Amino acid sequence: MLYVVLVFLVLSFFLYVLLGGADFGAGIIELFSSKDNQKPIKKTVYEVMGPVWEANHIWIIIMIVILWIGFPATYNVVVVYLHIPLTLVLLGITLRGAAFIFRHYDAIKGGSQKLYDRLFRISCLITPIFLGMTFGALVTGDIVLIEDNPNAGFYEVYVHPWLQVFPILIGCFYATLCSFLASVFLIGEASDDEKRMYMRKARVAILAVIAFGFLVLITGFAEGRDFVTDFVANPFADAAVLLSAILLYPLFRAIRFGRVKRCRFFGGLQVSLILFAAAITHFPHVIETTSGKLNFMDGLAPQSVMNVLAISLIIGGLLIIPGFLHLLKSFHMIKMLEDKE
Amino acid sequence: MDNLDAARLQMAFTLMFHIVFACIGMVMPFFMVVSHFKWLKTRNPIYLTLTKAWQKGVAIFFVTGAVSGTALSFELGLLWPGFMKHAGPIIGMPFSLEGAAFFVEALAIGFYLYGWNKINEKFHWLTGVIVGVSGVASGILVVSANSWMNAPSGFDYINGQYVNIDPVKALLNDAWFSQALHMTLAAFAATGFAVAGIHAWQVYRKHNPAVHAKAFHIAIIFGGIAALLQPLSGDIAAKDVAKRQPVKLAAMEAHYETEKGAPLYIGGIVDEKNKTVSHKIEITKGLSFLSFGDFDAEVKGLNDFPKDELPPVAIPHYAFQVMVGMGGIMALAALFYFISVRKRKWWENSKFWLLFAILAPTGYIALEAGWVVTEVGRQPWIIHKVMRTKDAVTPMPGMIYSFWFYVLLYTILTLTVIWLMRRQIKVLNQKVD
Repeated sequence: MLYVVLVFLVLSFFLYVLLGGADFGAGIIELFSSKDNQKPIKKTVYEVMGPVWEANHIWIIIMIVILWIGFPATYNVVVVYLHIPLTLVLLGITLRGAAFIFRHYDAIKGGSQKLYDRLFRISCLITPIFLGMTFGALVTGDIVLIEDNPNAGFYEVYVHPWLQVFPILIGCFYATLCSFLASVFLIGEASDDEKRMYMRKARVAILAVIAFGFLVLITGFAEGRDFVTDFVANPFADAAVLLSAILLYPLFRAIRFGRVKRCRFFGGLQVSLILFAAAITHFPHVIETTSGKLNFMDGLAPQSVMNVLAISLIIGGLLIIPGFLHLLKSFHMIKMLEDKE
Repeated sequence: MDNLDAARLQMAFTLMFHIVFACIGMVMPFFMVVSHFKWLKTRNPIYLTLTKAWQKGVAIFFVTGAVSGTALSFELGLLWPGFMKHAGPIIGMPFSLEGAAFFVEALAIGFYLYGWNKINEKFHWLTGVIVGVSGVASGILVVSANSWMNAPSGFDYINGQYVNIDPVKALLNDAWFSQALHMTLAAFAATGFAVAGIHAWQVYRKHNPAVHAKAFHIAIIFGGIAALLQPLSGDIAAKDVAKRQPVKLAAMEAHYETEKGAPLYIGGIVDEKNKTVSHKIEITKGLSFLSFGDFDAEVKGLNDFPKDELPPVAIPHYAFQVMVGMGGIMALAALFYFISVRKRKWWENSKFWLLFAILAPTGYIALEAGWVVTEVGRQPWIIHKVMRTKDAVTPMPGMIYSFWFYVLLYTILTLTVIWLMRRQIKVLNQKVD
């Protein structure tokens, strides 16, 4: 049953990074677009994300709930030591959600729209950066456990692990991944003129992903981060990254010929491969502290809890997945009907 | 202020907001589908306008509720890591089921909002019903997690270890039914009165009385029925508390001395230092009867509980008085409304509408006060008789800054939502003009 829970945990992690990431990315693309392009992007983003956007963000809640029920020891370390960056992530999610609903549900479309737009775009950029920083902080190896270091100061324990170049770069890297995902997903939804614009955006995003990916690796090497050295030493991780790089070729071809499904497939696959590489390097030692690496599989909830959790997840999955697919399908069909009209 | 109090204030503050957003998001879909049903049946365009106006309200409150709920799912761990470390696995089940219910709600709301003229009419309406039903299910599940803190069960606490965990037993703890019933009715009563009050105000101001009167009637029927049933569920809840958490009962009644045939205090000023209550109205043997259904039953007073297990007295007592007072007013108002259905002439009197407009906030005041009673009354425990709140709080210092940060954020969000609602009503009025 532990494996059922792990599958759901990994699944919700991937789905959040991919779908939630694409949502954040849409706002980032808007932020870095010219004024003329912002309007059509806003419209497309609303049409595409509107019906499903809330569903996309539930994955992080599912992740949190699985962690606290099944893996209380790991969860405890995360919430105690990464209190501040998680609060900042929360701030981003809150402002983003509020701005999204405000800009589409304000009954009077007036000057306040500008404010909502700005809020939406900026929170779309900072939230993934903080998310990446939180993840980065877990693997810097600088987390100071208070029970081992009772005299450590506030800055050392609660600020230093995440406020460094390396985690910030990981944050930026994730933000570029988000914009990459969004541009690749949006290509399929746009009209012809817009399509060309998203294609350009997708290419820029790919370059940004590569640039920040390199920066992360170089900085990690220079600072001697285990996360990076282990990553490079792991043949599976290398193979996954290499495969992801090779896939750029078919992706570029798919983008050029406007093959919607292929674009999405390759884009999603590439990001999944990068995630897979990061996960395979470190599992089960997800958290690195100054007192050593913590094993994710230590301090699990008792078997009885895991069983009930697994059963609830299976029931929930059976209930939700068909609904989710039906939602996507219905609105896709509606879109096609509207296009014909 | 110390770290513990700052963390408690922050939790109280964020919950206070979430409860309002969540309850409106939970109950308004029912008003919406009734109006939608009437549109499908009568094809009176007023109902279509109303349904669409309410659906925007549902969307706004659903998202603000979802976002503030996401915030809470973070805060539970960020503020109370000691609690979550041990309680997380035990009460995980209601939370994971709540996640599923919430997901169903999010999907249904996607269908509903975007499905106009696109999917089968009846199926479209049904998705609106699913929004409401799954919202209520979410609410009940979350309340079940809270009631477990009052009536911990489904585990054995041996030498500081939590063993033999049974999540199903934890979900169906002793306080589950009475709390869930009381809260669900409260959500309907509070939202019913609030929505009815807003529309009554519009009728009073003579802004499109035709639309707003229809809206008023739908909302007040839900709110009124719930307000009439609420005293009964309150009685069940009080008897349950008397049995399980006698110290909480003693605090909310400000009852210091153990006695048989204990009197019920109405109002009064609590002096916690001298352990007395002055300026109160006493109802002889009232407390014994209400708590145990027996005029001569013994009610244990605060003085006979261990000193280090006493909750604050003044806050729960005052909050309890406010809750019961507001509840009483609402039940009377509900009665008044149902009589007015027979005497429709009253509806032509503008004072009728003014009355309900004034009553708009009563339900939410009662609801917040009720949560203050149950949460402050449980102190100093976070898990009744198992874990103290001070042992659950985060070791990170400086929580007071975090508190002010949340106050600022939530105040901005609330003001924006109120402002949006006003614009919603303004546009609704223009449309019908």
